[in-house]
Formats: sequence, C-alpha cells, structure tokens
Amino acid sequence: MPSSEPIELTSLDLARCRSWPYSQDHCVTCGLCASSCPVSGVDGFDPRKLIRLISLGLDEAAAESRWPWICTLCGKCENACPMEIDIADAVRRVRSLRDRDQVPGILQQGLEAALEAGNNLRLPTEDFIFIIEDVAEEVAEEPGFEGFTAPIDKKGARLLTTIHNKLVNTHTEDLKHWWKIFHAAGEDWTISSVNWEGTSWGYFTGDDRAIKTMAGRIVEQMETLSINTLLWPE
Amino acid sequence: MEKYNFVTVFDLLIDYIKSGRIRLDKNRFPQRACYHDPCNYGRRAQRRFGRGFFEEPRWILDQCMNDWVDLHPNRMDQVCCGGGGGALTTGYNEERIFYGRRKMEQIKAAGAQMVVIPCHSCHGQLNNIKTEYAMEDLEVKYLWELVADCMVLS
Repeated sequence: MPSSEPIELTSLDLARCRSWPYSQDHCVTCGLCASSCPVSGVDGFDPRKLIRLISLGLDEAAAESRWPWICTLCGKCENACPMEIDIADAVRRVRSLRDRDQVPGILQQGLEAALEAGNNLRLPTEDFIFIIEDVAEEVAEEPGFEGFTAPIDKKGARLLTTIHNKLVNTHTEDLKHWWKIFHAAGEDWTISSVNWEGTSWGYFTGDDRAIKTMAGRIVEQMETLSINTLLWPE
Repeated sequence: MEKYNFVTVFDLLIDYIKSGRIRLDKNRFPQRACYHDPCNYGRRAQRRFGRGFFEEPRWILDQCMNDWVDLHPNRMDQVCCGGGGGALTTGYNEERIFYGRRKMEQIKAAGAQMVVIPCHSCHGQLNNIKTEYAMEDLEVKYLWELVADCMVLS
C-alpha cells in the first residue's frame, strides 16, 4: 500500500458509490461502521478504511486487498452510518475492479460456466433431467405424494421456479420441500430444462452485465414457455 | 415488466396458507426454534427497495410452531451469518468461520434447538460452522422445509 506517494487525482472516481455520487466523501470517519462490522480487525479490515481509500482515489489498493472479499455485503455498516453512505454497494463496486482471473475461489469459474452452459456446474441438460426425474420418483414413493411428477418445460404452466445448483448436486433432498408444497397446493408449476440456474454469482463478483444476462435468460424461458409468474427462491 | 409477475417465497407460502390450499399442523415441532433474517431479504431489501421482508416469515413461523423466538438483535439490526456475499465460495474459510461467531452466540443465547432460515447461503454457512462452535445438534431448517414438514396431507 503506497504511503508517501502523491495521490493521482485522475484516479478519483466520484461515482464509486453509484447510487449517490460523491457519497464516500461525506464520510465523517466516526467509526460506527467499523464498530458494527463483525469482521472489523480481520486482516486489518474495517469499512471505514475502505471508504477512505475510495475517497482518496486509492481504488486500486482497495481492489488488490482481500478486504472486499472478507466483507459479506451484509450492510450492517451502512445501516449504522449517520451519513447514509452505501458502503456495501461501494464494496461490490471495488470487487468489480479486480482482474477477472484474480477473483478468489470458484466464483469466476462458476459464473463463466453459467454464462457458457446455463448453470454453474456445466451440468448437461440430459443429466439435469435425469436427476430431476430420479428425485421426483423418490417423492412419489412417499405416502401422500403418490403419482407425483416434476413437470419440466410445461408450456402454459402458471409458475416457473428456478433451481439452486447445489440442489441438483450435493443436496438433492432439499429439492423435495418446494415440490411437496406445490403438490399439496395443487400448483400448476414447472422447471425449465435449460438456464434453470437460480444463483447469480455476478452479484458476488461485481459483474452487473452477467446478472442482466442471466436474469434475461430466465425471462426468455418464461416467454418461450408462456409463463407469467416466476418464483426465484435463490 | 407488467407482463410478468414475480412472487417471493414468502408471498407464495402465505398465499397457499391463507387460501387454505395447504393446511398446517403446528404441533409437530415442540422444540424451541429461532428465526434468522437473511441480510438480502431484510436489511438490504429495505434499504435498496424500501421493502424488507421481516414480518412475513414471522407470520409463517406462527402457523408452523408454538415455540419460536427472535434472536437479539433482529430485523434491521440482525447479525449476518457470515456466509453472504459469496463467502462460501471465496476460499477464505477461516475468516468466514470467525465471522459466524456472533450468529452462533445469538442462537445459543436464545436457547434454540432449531434455526429457521429462508436463504441458501445462510443455510449452507450455519450447517457448515455449527460443529466449529460445538453446536452439532442445532437443526438448520429452510423456512419452506418447515412448512413442507408441517403439512397435513389429505
């Protein structure tokens, strides 16, 4: 982190807090955000420091640090902030400044899979359908759910639901809860065989365009299947 | 956007319950439960969209259980579970587990054997860290899982 280097004024981004330009400059350094944050002190992080970095135009230093990723975007800091600075939003913007190959963990990998293959797991459609049908058969064996099926690509259904990728991966048992409720309620529902992914990791990586692409695909599926109501439990 | 209708998990469950499309037995889970407000359904939705979902899940819990309590603090002041913002996937696990200590303290103080949650990230995080805090017996339950388990089938 540069200490005695002069600050390059051209690097100041006055709109880093997008919903309110200059917002970061209203920071009164009171420290309420730092006190409210559950991970203040971890790796030297606290929200106030991050806002000060942005305010000073040291965005790059902020983006290179682990701080924006230790933060969970929970918003306790901005809830406490007397100047109403959108701190969590700013953190997300700083995340977006990282080179995409420097995004930590499996986030970018999962997001790229989703953009290319329609879901974070790159699960082929036939495997997806196999899993759905297999779990549906298990539900149908339970008392009270005789004859249960999970409708895939049902045109004109009332309700489309998205799926969290972990439910067709390691947590298939958890697919059953909503399905049982739909069955008992006599809901006319369906799942899409493509672009069914409900998680949107662009939210975590700071990639607004990816979020828009993925949401757009869900709407496309609603259009293709003539469905006007969406449940997006993720 | 007029063309499309979006329902939240809360709207849909409340609709099914109020219209009588599903019936619930609230005596199946006698243990004490607590409710955790996920940041994005609560505090952040309130700030971003002027509409946080605080009372809806609590109403649903009232239909499912006799003994559930709120954590302290709650609603706008609720403490994050530590699994938000992609924390379960960044690989910063030590930080994430440390983050969760406040949530576990809240749950312990509430004397709850079950925590009910309407969020996949919170669910994953609490199930993942409960052993770290010697709370292996804590049942981590999705709100819709609780509803499904309370349904009276005809």
